[in-house]
Amino acid sequence: MSTNSTSIAMEAPVEMQIQEIAFDGQETYAPSLSMSENLTKLAQKIDFAKCGPEEVNKEITEIDRNEDEAEQSTAPPLWPWDSVRNKLRNALTEVSVLSDLLTIAKGKKYVVLDPVPQDPPEPKPAMMMVWARKKSFAGAASVLFSGAERLKNSLIEAQKNRSTTADFHIELLRLRQNFRLKKVNNTIIGDLSYYRSSGSKHFHRGTFEVTKSEDEPDKLLSPPCSPNPNSANKLTSALRVTVPGELQGIASIKVYFQKDQDSLCSSNLNTPDTAFSIPEIDWQRKLEVAQNVLFCKEIFNQLAKEAVQLQSPIPHVVVGNQILASIFPGVQLVICLSHMEMSTDGKASLPPPIPRHDQVLEHTLHQLLRELHEKNAHYLLPHPASAPLGPSRKRSCAGPYAMDREEFVEMTESQTMLEQVIQQAQHTQLRDRTLCILDKLATQYKDPLISVHWLWLNSPTYACIKVTIFAQGYDEIYRNLVIIHVHDTYLKCISRDGKVVQLSYESMELKNYILCQICRHQIMAVQYLAKAMGWQCVANSFNLGSGTLVETFGNASSCILVSPVGDRLISIHCDQNSRVQVSVAQTPRKDFFPGQLVKERKWENLGNSFKEVQWEKMIGKNFLGKMELLMTSLTSSWMQ
Amino acid sequence: MGVTILLSYPVPENKTGPQTVDLLIKRIGALGAVQSGQFLVDCETFSSGPTMGGPPRTVHVLHNSEQPAAVFALLESPGPPPKTVPLVADGLFDLLMLKMSSIYASKKQTRMEARGTRFEIADFLVKIGTVTMSSNFKGVLVEVEYRPCFIAGNCWELMREFMQSFLGSVVQNTPPPYFQVHNRLNDVYQPLDTIQQYLDHFASYRKVAGL
Repeated sequence: MSTNSTSIAMEAPVEMQIQEIAFDGQETYAPSLSMSENLTKLAQKIDFAKCGPEEVNKEITEIDRNEDEAEQSTAPPLWPWDSVRNKLRNALTEVSVLSDLLTIAKGKKYVVLDPVPQDPPEPKPAMMMVWARKKSFAGAASVLFSGAERLKNSLIEAQKNRSTTADFHIELLRLRQNFRLKKVNNTIIGDLSYYRSSGSKHFHRGTFEVTKSEDEPDKLLSPPCSPNPNSANKLTSALRVTVPGELQGIASIKVYFQKDQDSLCSSNLNTPDTAFSIPEIDWQRKLEVAQNVLFCKEIFNQLAKEAVQLQSPIPHVVVGNQILASIFPGVQLVICLSHMEMSTDGKASLPPPIPRHDQVLEHTLHQLLRELHEKNAHYLLPHPASAPLGPSRKRSCAGPYAMDREEFVEMTESQTMLEQVIQQAQHTQLRDRTLCILDKLATQYKDPLISVHWLWLNSPTYACIKVTIFAQGYDEIYRNLVIIHVHDTYLKCISRDGKVVQLSYESMELKNYILCQICRHQIMAVQYLAKAMGWQCVANSFNLGSGTLVETFGNASSCILVSPVGDRLISIHCDQNSRVQVSVAQTPRKDFFPGQLVKERKWENLGNSFKEVQWEKMIGKNFLGKMELLMTSLTSSWMQ
Repeated sequence: MGVTILLSYPVPENKTGPQTVDLLIKRIGALGAVQSGQFLVDCETFSSGPTMGGPPRTVHVLHNSEQPAAVFALLESPGPPPKTVPLVADGLFDLLMLKMSSIYASKKQTRMEARGTRFEIADFLVKIGTVTMSSNFKGVLVEVEYRPCFIAGNCWELMREFMQSFLGSVVQNTPPPYFQVHNRLNDVYQPLDTIQQYLDHFASYRKVAGL
């Protein structure tokens, strides 16, 4: 013990922590912990992982975390939440370490964060890609190549075989271009009918079958490749077409006129000599012929239906395959469906040859049915597009054009096929009759010439004729014109003076009319000629009638001419046969003698009786020529 | 469509409308006319609402039973210069006007009708009708059409003579005022001209208050 010891003051460290030192030096102490708080704080410091003897051997670091987990999994569970607690504890440890590290790194004094250098991306092996592409291309190319080889081989084969047979599939393709085909089970069925595909309402199962022909390739033909008719068709076909029985053969509609007969229908028996064999034709034409048979059957069906429904004065008769419709009394139109069926041995029987079959009317029937089909199938797109689809174009325009009620009624009228055909047939007959009459008259009458000109603008139910009556050499003086409109059952004739006459189908009426016109021409021409020569017409009459003669055609007319001086009178009478009677009179009379009743001299001016001229002995080419000569001679003075 | 002249026949003081019509029918029957159905000409007026802006415009929609598929519409716009735009349309135009009811409102009480019988004599067509405005009798209108001709100037004299034969001195010697403007006497006659004549007469009937 020394006496120089220093006294050291010992004081306990500050028990309360300093929370804050104010700017004026005042210290604020954090409140001291209570006993429980102290205990909690101390307990928190305990690392429960360290309890137990194992704790001595290991180090608690991040690296030993796995060991911890392994050891903990082998340790028997002390209580049910043990594993949960362990895991939570580990998580807490990790997060604490991480937060410590980040805090320290933020300070940048002891730990600094450096970016981890990235590995450079692995360079793509360019050569690998090229090789891969080349391989895939080679695979595709090989596929295409093998296909091309196959095509080339088949083409070479086809070229080798081209002269003899055609391939079945190529033929089938060509067939499919023209007809509708479909495959049913194992067979190929085609459709020939018009039903629903082109507006027909007539149902008919027009199916045909297509098969391969392997056993008889020589007999079947295939249609020619080019439309050149000169190229010989030598190809044989690989497919065979089987047409149903009722459509085999050749059918057509025959239309002709016949006079009224007592028997309703007649039939002819055929001898086998008239049979002939239809040559084998290629499948295209065979199918076309079969379709034509179907079409003709439809035409006939439609006409027969209408013939039964239509009301007409003389009812139409449908017998077997004929329809008899009467056009005029005494003339009938016969429409008959002639179907040349094939008999069993391949020979066909010829129907009796039809006299004077009218091809124009047959064509008309075909056209009418197609028109009917088109009307059923074809809808006009209305303008504007929002208007209703059904009505025709004329009906759609009826509103904006403000059409009258009469026009509406006209629009709704429509004629059936049979009516239209009958109308055309009537017009044909009437036109022929008119032609005959005019030709006969033109050849018969030479004095006024008759020239007939048919207008080229006409329709199946209308024609127009211009008939000119004139005298040869004097057509500048006067020419009589008649226009004849030929309709279906009547003629309308318009003469030069504007009178319109409607004549019926009787041909004698037309003859009568033309003869009247001829007669009229004579007298009118004489009047014009007289005017040219200075003579005057003092009286004329155009309708003198035919008198007591037997012939009732034609008319007689007459006129009286007086010379320029006034001393000669000519009286002309022209009768229906174009015979003329000309008489001449003279005023003053030469043979005037005053008698008991008539005393004065002045009555000699009344003129004496007419003396007839011998017309056959007159010099002149025709009637007008002779008249000219007569008038000239009477005018000149030395004939006094 | 031939030339049509529309005439308003004044009802005499001591007679009613139907009696006048009967008298005219008797006269025309005496000339040899044949009755051939009824006729109806009606006119509905639409007026544009304030949404359109500007002075209100009117659209007259007329129907004539003689042209059953057509609807006639005349738009009168008073804005300077005042003009009338005519239109001949299909029956769908009525539906169009229905759709536009928010813009063009229909004045139901001014709906005018001319209804009566039509007679045919040779080339003439005579219609004698009573004009009513929402069931109120307004007057008698006589329409005479000469079917073969469609230029008014060519047949005015003929028509005047024919009309004077059964209408008497009501018919003036000069053509009606409709034909005296714009050289209408020498123009081709259209169904729209008939409708415009009807419209003029209906307008004059509307002005006559309370009959």
